[in-house]
Amino acid sequence: MNPQRKRIPKIEPFKHRVEVDPKFFDKSWKKLDDAIREIYNHNASGLSFEELYRTAYNMVLHKHGGRLYDKLAENLKGHLREMGKLVEAAQGGLFLEELQRRWADHIKALQMIRDILMYMDRTFIPSSKKTPVFEHGLELWRDIVVRSPKIHGRLVDTLLELIHRERMGEMINRGLMRNTTKMLMELGSSVYQDDFERPFLEVSASFYSGESQQCIERCDCGEYLKNAEKRLAEESERVSLYMDAKTADKIANVVDKEMLSIHMQRLFLMENSGLVNMLINDKHEDLTRMYDLFKRVPDGHSTIRSLMASHVKETGKILVTDPERLRDPVDFVQRLLNEKDKYDEIVSVSFSNDKTFQNALNASFEHFINLNNRSPEFISLYVDDKLRKGVKGAANEEDIETVLDKVMMLFRYLQEKDVFEKYYKQHLAKRLLSGKTSSDEAERNMLVKLKTECGYQFTSKLESMFTDLKTSQDTMQSFYANLSGDSDGPTISVQILTTGSWPTQPCATCNLPPEILGVSELFRAHYLGTHNGRRLTWQTNMGNADIKATFGDRKHELNVSTYQMCVLMLFNSTDTLTYKEIEQNTAIPPVDLKRCLQSLACVKGKNVLRKEPMSKDISDSDAFHFNDKFSSKLVKVKIGTVVAQKESEPEKQETRHRVEEDRKPQIEAAIVRIMKSRRVLDHNSIVTEVTKQLQARFLPNPVVIKKRIESLIEREFLERDKVDRKLYRYLA
Amino acid sequence: GRGRGRVRLNVGGRVFQTTATTLAAAGRDTMLGAMLDASWNAAAAGDEADYFIDRDPACFAVLLDLLRTGGLHVPPHIPDAVLCREALYYGLLDRVRAARWDDFDGDRLRLAASVPGRAPGDGTAVRPAPDGGCCVAHGGAVRVYNWMLEERRPVYLDHAPVNDAAYLDASTLLVAARERPGRRDGGVAAFSALTGEMRHRFRVAHDRQVRSFTPGALAFDQECSIFASCKGRLNEYGIGVWDGTTGEQTGFFYEPPGCALGDADKLQWLDGTKTLMAATMFPRADSSFISLLDFRDKNVVWSWCDVGTPASLEDKHAVHAIAMEDGRSICVINQSRSKLMSRKKVHAEETCYPKLATHAGQLFASTNDAISVFTGPDHALTSTLRGSDGGAICDFSIGGDRLFALHNEKNVFDVWETPPPPII
Repeated sequence: MNPQRKRIPKIEPFKHRVEVDPKFFDKSWKKLDDAIREIYNHNASGLSFEELYRTAYNMVLHKHGGRLYDKLAENLKGHLREMGKLVEAAQGGLFLEELQRRWADHIKALQMIRDILMYMDRTFIPSSKKTPVFEHGLELWRDIVVRSPKIHGRLVDTLLELIHRERMGEMINRGLMRNTTKMLMELGSSVYQDDFERPFLEVSASFYSGESQQCIERCDCGEYLKNAEKRLAEESERVSLYMDAKTADKIANVVDKEMLSIHMQRLFLMENSGLVNMLINDKHEDLTRMYDLFKRVPDGHSTIRSLMASHVKETGKILVTDPERLRDPVDFVQRLLNEKDKYDEIVSVSFSNDKTFQNALNASFEHFINLNNRSPEFISLYVDDKLRKGVKGAANEEDIETVLDKVMMLFRYLQEKDVFEKYYKQHLAKRLLSGKTSSDEAERNMLVKLKTECGYQFTSKLESMFTDLKTSQDTMQSFYANLSGDSDGPTISVQILTTGSWPTQPCATCNLPPEILGVSELFRAHYLGTHNGRRLTWQTNMGNADIKATFGDRKHELNVSTYQMCVLMLFNSTDTLTYKEIEQNTAIPPVDLKRCLQSLACVKGKNVLRKEPMSKDISDSDAFHFNDKFSSKLVKVKIGTVVAQKESEPEKQETRHRVEEDRKPQIEAAIVRIMKSRRVLDHNSIVTEVTKQLQARFLPNPVVIKKRIESLIEREFLERDKVDRKLYRYLA
Repeated sequence: GRGRGRVRLNVGGRVFQTTATTLAAAGRDTMLGAMLDASWNAAAAGDEADYFIDRDPACFAVLLDLLRTGGLHVPPHIPDAVLCREALYYGLLDRVRAARWDDFDGDRLRLAASVPGRAPGDGTAVRPAPDGGCCVAHGGAVRVYNWMLEERRPVYLDHAPVNDAAYLDASTLLVAARERPGRRDGGVAAFSALTGEMRHRFRVAHDRQVRSFTPGALAFDQECSIFASCKGRLNEYGIGVWDGTTGEQTGFFYEPPGCALGDADKLQWLDGTKTLMAATMFPRADSSFISLLDFRDKNVVWSWCDVGTPASLEDKHAVHAIAMEDGRSICVINQSRSKLMSRKKVHAEETCYPKLATHAGQLFASTNDAISVFTGPDHALTSTLRGSDGGAICDFSIGGDRLFALHNEKNVFDVWETPPPPII
C-alpha cells in the first residue's frame, strides 16, 4: 500500500472560467459536419434544425466563430470538388443538365447551411468583416466548379454553340439556357459579364458581320431591312427569354452596327430599291422600317433626311423648270400640291411626324419653288381657278377650305410674297368685277388666311376692294331710287373703285354709244352731287353688257364686254363696217379692239359678226358684216373675250417692273428705320438688316439696296462718313 | 383540417400555441423563420407542427407577444440584457429595437437613459452611431456604446487628446487626435467600433512627403470622401481629403490668406451645393470665420467673419454654426445668452459654449443645461429638454433616431428618444 502523503496545500490562482469540455469544438463541429453531409446527400429529413442552430450558436458564443468559419469553408470546398468531378464526367449534351442539377443541389444545401449558421452571420461576420456564409458558398462554387479548367471553357462554348444553333433555326432547350445564365448572374454581374456576355457579344458580332455580308449581296434594300428587323426582334426575344435584361441594349448595338451602321450608305443608295426608290413608289412600310431601324444608328436619321431633301429638291427642280409644265399654271400648282401631299404623308406615316424631317421637307420645297420666279403668279392663278369655279366635284366650303390651306402652305415657301400679292390683287379684281366669285365666304376666308400669315398691311387694299363693291351696291340703289319713272332706256350698274386699291391702269375712255352715255352722265351727276370733290373716270376696258339682238327671226340676248357692246351698237345703223371705221368710232385701243373683234367674229358658234376676209387674225384692212345667219340653241349667248389667262411676256415684264417699283419705297423705309435707331452703320450690316426685315415679303436684291442707299444720300437722309467711307450716318 | 397552420412550441418546458402566420412575421432570415421553413420540415406530416426550443420561456413569451402585436412589453423581472440576448438568439434584436422607440421627433422626446461616465468631466464630444449607439470622446480615449447602451471595448489613443470622432458606418469609427508636443502621433485613424482595433491611419503628404499634423474636425460627403481640418507643423494649414474606401489622400485645400481653415472646429458637407462648410469659431480663434469651399476648383465660394460686427460686448462672438437643411442658410449662435456660466469659468478652462444641430426641419440649440427645440419655417421654440443634473451640456448630437447630450460636470450623457405612439 502506498500511504497517501499529505500534500502541502498550494495556493493556486482562481480559475475564473470553468473550462468547458476541451473537446467542445470538435464534438460540435462533427455534429455540423455530419449534418452538412446529410444535407448534400438529400437526407436532411432526420435533422433537427433547433439542435444544429443551437450548436452553432454555442460555438460562436464561445468565441469559436473564426474556427467554425474556416472549417465550414474547408467542408464546402470538399463537397464542391466532388460535384465538380461529376459535372466534368457528364457527356456531351448532358453537361449543362448535370451542371444545372448540381447547382440546384448546392443552392438548396447552402440555404440550409446558412439557416444553421444564421447566428454567425449576424454577429461574427460583421465584426470580422468576412463574407457571409451564402455569398461565400457562391464564391466557392464559382472558383471550384464554374471556373475550373475543365468546365470553364466547355461551359462558354456550349452556351454559344446552342445560341448559334438557335440562330440557324434549330429548337434548343431554352429553359436550360435560362437556368444556366441565371446561375451566372447569381454568381455576380461580373461573372455573367466576363464568362458569358462578352464572348457572346464577340461571337454575335462575327455572326452578323458574315450574315450581313451575304445578305447584302443577294437582297434588295427592303428585304435586307426586313431581315435586320427580324434579327433584332429575335435577339430581343432571346434576351428576354434567357439573358440579363441589361444585355438587350448591348446585343442590339452589335446588330445595329454589323447589320445597319456598316452598310448604311450602300443600303440607302441601292439602285432600284434604295431610299429614293422607296420615296418615289410610296413604300410606306419599307420607309417606316428604315426610320425605326436607323433610329439608334449614328447619323442614321440625318442621312435619311438629307437624302430625302436632295431628292425632293431634285425632282422639284425638274417640276418647276420643265417648260412643258409652265403652260398650265393650275396643273403646275396642282402638281406641287400633290408632291407636298405625297411627302407629307411619308413623313407622317413613315417618319412618325419627326419635326426635323418636316423641317427638311419645308426647306427643300422652299428651295425649289423659288427657283421659278413665276411661282407666285401661278399660285395666285391656282387660287383664282379654285375660287372662280369652285372646287371640282364637291364644291362645299370645307373642301375649298382644305385647298386654300394647302395653297397657303405653298405661299409660305414663297420668297417674293409681294409679287404674289400683286397677282392676287389683279386676279381678285377680275373675279370681283366680273362677278365670277363662286363664294364670297371663300374669298374672305382666303383674305383672313393671308392676313394671319402676313399681317394687316398685306391685305388692307384687298379688303378695301370688298368695301368698294359693297358701297357701290348702296350707291346704285340710291341712284335708281332717285331716277323714278323713265325706265325705257338701258340700265347701268356702276362699280365705284377707289383709285389705288385696285389694279387699274389709266386708260383712254372709249366712245360710249349715246344710249349709254346718257344714263352714265346721269349717274355721274348723281354721284358727284352726293360726294363732293371726287373725280370719276370710266374704266371702259373692264365692264360688260347684256344686249338684245335680232338675227333674222331669232332673238338672242348677248352677254358681251363694254368694248364689244360699243362695237355691236355701231351695227344698229349699218350692216357693214371696216376695221378703221370701228376704230375711229369707238376709240378703243387697237390691241383691245383686235381682241374684241376676234371674239365677235372668229369664234365658232359665237360669231355674231362676219369678217372679210375670213382668217384668224384681225388686220387693219378687214371689213365686218352683221351676221344675220347667226344661230344658237341658247337664247342667252355669252361672248367671251379672247384673253390670255396667263400673262403674256410683255405683261409679265410690266408686272415685274411694278413690283420692283413698289419695293423701292419699302427698302428705303427699312433703311431709314434701321439707320434711325443705329445712327451709324456699315454697308454690309445695312444689307443684312434690311434683308432680315423684309424677308417676310420678299428677298431684296443687294444691288437694289445699294441704289436705294445712294438715292437716300442724294436726298440727304444719310451721308457717308468723312473718314471711313464704308460707314453711313443718319442725318436727322 | 382544424389545426391547419397551428404551431405548438415547447420552449424550455413551457408550451406555446401559435400560428405559422404569427411566426412568419419574424421573417425568413430569423431562427423561427428558418425552423418553420419547408426545407427543414421535409419529414413532418400532419397538420399540427410540434417544435422544441431549448431557451428561456419567459423571454420567449415577450418576444412572441412582440410578433403578435408589434408592441414590446417587458415584465420588470426580466433584465434588459437577458431579453436582448434572447432576441439576438432568435434574430429579433432589430425588431426589439424598432419597437422601443419611434422616428425621431424633437417635440416628443423622452429621456430614455442617463449613462454615467467614468472619467472626470472633460468630455470633448458625443457622436451618434447609425444604429442608435454612440461614442464619447474623453481625453485620450473614445468610449463606445452599442444601441443597448452597453459599453464596448473603448478606443485608446495613449493619451493623445481626441479632437473629434465620427462613425463612417455602424462598425467603423474615425478618430481625430491631437499631436502631443515632441511626438508625431497625431492624425486621423479608423477603428473598429466593435473591437476597438485600429484599421487604418490616414496620412497627409505635402510635396510627396508624409507629414504629421493635428486634425481638428471631421466630415463626410455622400461619395464617402473624408474631410478633416489639418494643422501641419510647417504652416501646412488647410483641409485634407481622403477616399473613405481606399483610405488614400485625394486632395488638400491649402488655406488661402485670410481664411482660417486649418483650425476649423466644425466641418459640414452640403450635398445640395456640393460644398463643404468650414467654421473656425471663437474661442479657438479670436473671431469666428465661416466659409463654403468648393473642392472641385479649390474655390472659396462664400465666407463670413464676425470681425466687423460691433464688438461692444466681447462675448458676443458666434461660437457655433450649422448649415440649415435647405442648404441655403447658416445658423450661428453666440454666447451672450449663456452669460450665467461665467461662474463656472472659475472651475474649468473649457466653458460649455452653446451648440447647434438640425434634424428633419427642426433646429436644436444647447444653452447651459437645456436644449431648446425650434420647429417650423419661423423656427418657433416648441420644446425644451432638461435632463439629468449633470451640469451644463458641453456637446450634443442627433443620429440613429436618438439625441445624445453630454454633460460637463458629472460626465453623464443623456439619451433622448421618441417613444412609440400610444395604442389608443
